[in-house]
Amino acid sequence: MNKEMLELCAWVVKTAKGAGADACVVNLDANRTVEVSYRDRKPENIKEASTKALNVQVFAAGRYSVQSTSDLRQQALRDFLGNAVIATRLLAEDPFRSLPDPKYYEGRTPADLELQDAAYDSFSPENRHDMAKALESACLQAGGDKVVSVTSQVEDGSQESVMVASNGFEGYSRGTYYAPFAQMTAQDAGDRRPNGYSYAVTVHRGDLPRPEEIGALAARRTLDLLGAKKIKTETLPVIIENQNVGRMLNGVLGAMFGRSIQQKRSFLADKKGQVIASRHLTVVDDPFIPKGLGSRHFDADGLAARKRVLIEAGVLKEFFVDWYYSRKLGWEPTSGSPSNLVIPPGTRSVKEIMKDLGRGILITGFIGGNANPTTGDTSIGIIGTLFEKGEPVQAVSEMNIADNYLKFLPKLVEVANDPFLYSSTRFPSMVFENVVVSGL
Amino acid sequence: MAEMSRRSFLKTTGGAAAAAAAVPILAGGWHTLLADESPGYFEREFGISDALCRKVLAAALAKGGDYADLYFEHTIGNWIVLEDGKVSRAFSDVALGVGIRTVKGDQVGYGFTQELEEKAMLKAAAVAATIAAGGATAPAGRLAWMKTASYYPLKKLLSDVPLADKLPLVQGINDRCFALSPLVVKVNASFHDQQKRIMVVTSDGTKAEDLQPRDYLTAFVIAEKGGRKEQAGWNLGGRHDFSFFTPDAVEAIAAKAVGDALQLFDAVQPPAGEMPVVLGPGVTGVLLHEAIGHGMEADFNRKKTSTFSTMIGKQVAEPFVTILDDGTIPGQLGSINFDDEGIPGQKTALVENGILTSYMHDRISARFYKVKPTGNGRRESYQHYVQPRMRNTLMLAGPAAAADAIRAAGKGIYVQNVSNGQVKIGEGDFAFYVSQGRMIEDGKLGAPIKDINIMGNGPKMLRNIIMVAGDLELSRGGTGACGKGGQAVPCGFGQPTCLVKSLTVGGVRS
Repeated sequence: MNKEMLELCAWVVKTAKGAGADACVVNLDANRTVEVSYRDRKPENIKEASTKALNVQVFAAGRYSVQSTSDLRQQALRDFLGNAVIATRLLAEDPFRSLPDPKYYEGRTPADLELQDAAYDSFSPENRHDMAKALESACLQAGGDKVVSVTSQVEDGSQESVMVASNGFEGYSRGTYYAPFAQMTAQDAGDRRPNGYSYAVTVHRGDLPRPEEIGALAARRTLDLLGAKKIKTETLPVIIENQNVGRMLNGVLGAMFGRSIQQKRSFLADKKGQVIASRHLTVVDDPFIPKGLGSRHFDADGLAARKRVLIEAGVLKEFFVDWYYSRKLGWEPTSGSPSNLVIPPGTRSVKEIMKDLGRGILITGFIGGNANPTTGDTSIGIIGTLFEKGEPVQAVSEMNIADNYLKFLPKLVEVANDPFLYSSTRFPSMVFENVVVSGL
Repeated sequence: MAEMSRRSFLKTTGGAAAAAAAVPILAGGWHTLLADESPGYFEREFGISDALCRKVLAAALAKGGDYADLYFEHTIGNWIVLEDGKVSRAFSDVALGVGIRTVKGDQVGYGFTQELEEKAMLKAAAVAATIAAGGATAPAGRLAWMKTASYYPLKKLLSDVPLADKLPLVQGINDRCFALSPLVVKVNASFHDQQKRIMVVTSDGTKAEDLQPRDYLTAFVIAEKGGRKEQAGWNLGGRHDFSFFTPDAVEAIAAKAVGDALQLFDAVQPPAGEMPVVLGPGVTGVLLHEAIGHGMEADFNRKKTSTFSTMIGKQVAEPFVTILDDGTIPGQLGSINFDDEGIPGQKTALVENGILTSYMHDRISARFYKVKPTGNGRRESYQHYVQPRMRNTLMLAGPAAAADAIRAAGKGIYVQNVSNGQVKIGEGDFAFYVSQGRMIEDGKLGAPIKDINIMGNGPKMLRNIIMVAGDLELSRGGTGACGKGGQAVPCGFGQPTCLVKSLTVGGVRS
């Protein structure tokens, strides 16, 4: 626990209550981020800073507002809180607004989630520059004479957060992250210059892949895009590569929030307990993964984190219901936001699956697109590789997939064995059959 | 042809142009705060003196470098939100800080601090200085205020508008939406106002101060008919005085949101494949933003990572196509009196009479190309370094009639509203998402369609613009934001009705 931060939060609670607030929740975050990028074998950008942000939820006379500031000078803060309470009182009353029932704070896991790399402070400027140089060199080398431009970047940071509520809640968390990244632009036919990239994000430095691997993979992913073209509209099996599955499933998650359901903006509102996907889809919200990028002890309401199965073998089991919408809906709260989302991996590699499928498209990127959470309709551009007899034969671009999720999710026939670990959405590659891929 | 286009452009935005002419008188031509406020906000409020600025600039150039600047920011933002008939939620945010940048060739060192104290600023300057490794360079000995235009004058500070005046707007949206149709089952409405005060101080001795307002009023509607639900939203806003938000504005927003939602009950499944696409006027300008705008940002071209990097001076479109990026349109969301590195607001022709004319530059790329900066150096906040960014990107009016464009399309898609887009700079491949549109059958507008992604390739799309109508409209919303390199900045769009010979429509029906 950071004593200084805790004291400031306690002072804010006291001052807000002194100004007339009936209750309040205070979040104080302190972050440090450092960024070093390289291009043409010299530093392109060097950036470093520390920030603090204070966020106060004010409950006054049955009314509610949220105020945030980075101006932490004491007098400025005192004025800020006074004005916050006055402004809150001008709003309409909302009988559903309250601090959570403290019983939901209980049962917080005592487990060490290993979210702090003890060696973070020894990550020196030289380490960062060496890593950025290694990323760049590897990408340049693997890209060879196709390289137009290579940029590498190392970003890292540490954060500390304190949350205090006037009903006695206290929470503290701290964490670190490392995010090396490389991207390459290659010369293709005519004026086409495909751009590809690769990255990793981890909590501990020791879990990062070697920068040489990331740099070389960025080059390979770029070279895979060469010669891309649109092919004829066709109904095919598609494999969505692990790191892109999250973007495809965003439209499903968006319909699972308490607000979407209560505001009639969810095509899943009346589907709890029903089959919405094939039996191959299971999604678990797991806040307790050691070193997980979304791991936590409590959520934004302060509710003790719990592991939950959201979709089990295709059946919709749970929604993301925060304290406020639990009151509006008259439901039990779960949690208002995902922690780590896990789809249990399958047993086969993407390569094996490709061999088995024969002909299909491996989707390695999306472009544009969106989803309508009210109806479940979605349409999104795809980038990838056509494979035949399990071998890549043609890069494809400017093609599209459109469907309704309630028709698309049942087309899932397999998940691969390759969960993407550099994200809080740990999804493996997924295989869908009979997908209309539109092009020429 | 272009002469005519330009005249009709002025005609279309006649009201706005007249306002622009009046502005310098109003603001005294010196700065862009309220008429009765003199420059020096950061000195008055935070004690930021010239001597202190010079000291920090000297620290930023302590190891050499070509140039340094300071970007002071004090932003106050407010949101009020209506749900289930009541304005029962409000958010406010205050951002205060300074970003310090040292530039050496195309290399940038950047530090920032939220504490406007000498010690913290010198520490941030020391971070910026590490980009260079030589002897000290001296900043200019004297700082002088820059004269700036005023494209978004305020009669009253947004922070002085009482909450009681904002509440009826949001409540009005709710009441009008429900009154307009018994099929409306949920209404969300909100009002946002943001007042961003900035001061840019450069090592060549310029200081410039601005107050950038941003505001919008939104409606989001769910309608239900026979168990089927549809959604639609609309907003009006930009960089306006609070007096912009009249009862007429409330009515216009509510009517558009409800009308659009109801239209969707008749929507048919959209087709898939290549076909002619007619873009209706206004917000469809997102197409230009994605198809050509990003690729014309000079940093991508300097690094040769844009598909447009070898095309300057070449014919890329029909001669009736002229595309501008314009920071000087009064009240538009992307307008700026000066950019975030102290270059005056201006307009830049990207394509003139079909010829690719100019990239959008910041100081770094302008120096690289040995041209003048175009005032496109922008950043999200004091926590971010400058990148070349768009302001308001628009196509000037052309010689055709909108009805002829639809007729000439024969069978295809008519785009009415676009919610988002994306581009791959190097390939030029882009996509944008159509939330509202219609089929075109036999040269006439047919059944509504929705939720389709449309794709194309920038240079190819430019060549394929075969008709441009005279009905240029600018987007009138306040929510448009463009993302690049992890930074979001407000941008405007606009275009007349135009016919693109062929784009890939990502529908479900072949």
